[in-house]
Amino acid sequence: MAWERRGGNNLYYYQSEREDGRVRKRYIGAGEVAELVAHADAALRLAREQRAAREGAELERLEALCAPVLELSEAAGVLARAQLVASGYRRRKGEWRRARA
Amino acid sequence: MPEPDPGALEPSDETRKRLDELRAVSDKAEAGDREARRELRRLVRSSSPEVIGRASDIGRRAGRMLAKTAAGGDPLTEEALYAKLDAMRAEIAGENSTPLEVLLTERIVSLWMLTALLEVLVSAQYRKTLSDGTKRSSPSYLIQQSRILEGATRRYLAAIRELARVRKLQAGAPVQVNVLRG
Repeated sequence: MAWERRGGNNLYYYQSEREDGRVRKRYIGAGEVAELVAHADAALRLAREQRAAREGAELERLEALCAPVLELSEAAGVLARAQLVASGYRRRKGEWRRARA
Repeated sequence: MPEPDPGALEPSDETRKRLDELRAVSDKAEAGDREARRELRRLVRSSSPEVIGRASDIGRRAGRMLAKTAAGGDPLTEEALYAKLDAMRAEIAGENSTPLEVLLTERIVSLWMLTALLEVLVSAQYRKTLSDGTKRSSPSYLIQQSRILEGATRRYLAAIRELARVRKLQAGAPVQVNVLRG
C-alpha cells in the first residue's frame, strides 16, 4: 500500500495485492476516500503485525516449555541405546537383536 | 501461560559431555567396532549410573515444572497433578526397577504431562478462534502449535515403546504395553 506522486503534486493511493505469485498494484484514488482506505489498511496492517508478534512470542514460550523435556527424552534415548549396545545388542532393520559374539 | 523456569532443568556441561561420549562410542560399537564395545561397557559401568541419576532428577523436576504451569496458580490442581505424576511413576516403574527403567519412566511421565498440557493449550486456541472471530489465530500459528503437539505425542509413544523394549531385552521375557491407556 503506498501513496504515489503522479502528474506534478497530486498524490494517489495504490493497494498492492499478490495474485498467482505476482504483486499487482490496484489504483484506489486520491482525496478523502483514498485517505480513509489508507487509514483502514494501516489499521489492518498494524493488527496483523501485533498478532504475528503475539503468536511468535507464544510459540517461543511453548518451545521453552518443551525444551527441557525433549532434552531429557534425547538423553534417555542415548543412555538406553548405550546400555543395550554394551549388553551385546545391535539394531538391524529397526529391530534390536543380540549381536553375534 | 506462566513462564517456565528452565534454569534448573538443563543438564550440566559435564553431563552433556558424557552423553556425547556415550553417543559417539555407541555409534562405533553398533557399527561392529569391538574395541568401541569394550570402551562402551566401561563407560556404561563407570559414568552412566551417575548420568542416569542426574537425568532422572532433571526429568522429575521437568514434570513438576509442567504440572505447576498446567495448574496455572491453583494449589489444589498443582497438588493433584503431582499426585497423578507420582502414581504414574509407581505404576510404570513398578518394584525393583533398574536406574535406567527409572529414567525411562521419568521420560514417559514428563512427556505425558507435556502432551496433556499442550493439548489443553491447543484446544483453548481453537475454542478462542471459534468463539471470538475477531481474536482468531492465524492458520500458520495453529499449524505450528499442532506440530509441536504432534512431536510431543510421537515422542511420548516412542518413550513407552522404548521402556517396553529395554525390559523385554534385559529380561528376555515378552512384554505387552497398552499405549492407549491414560
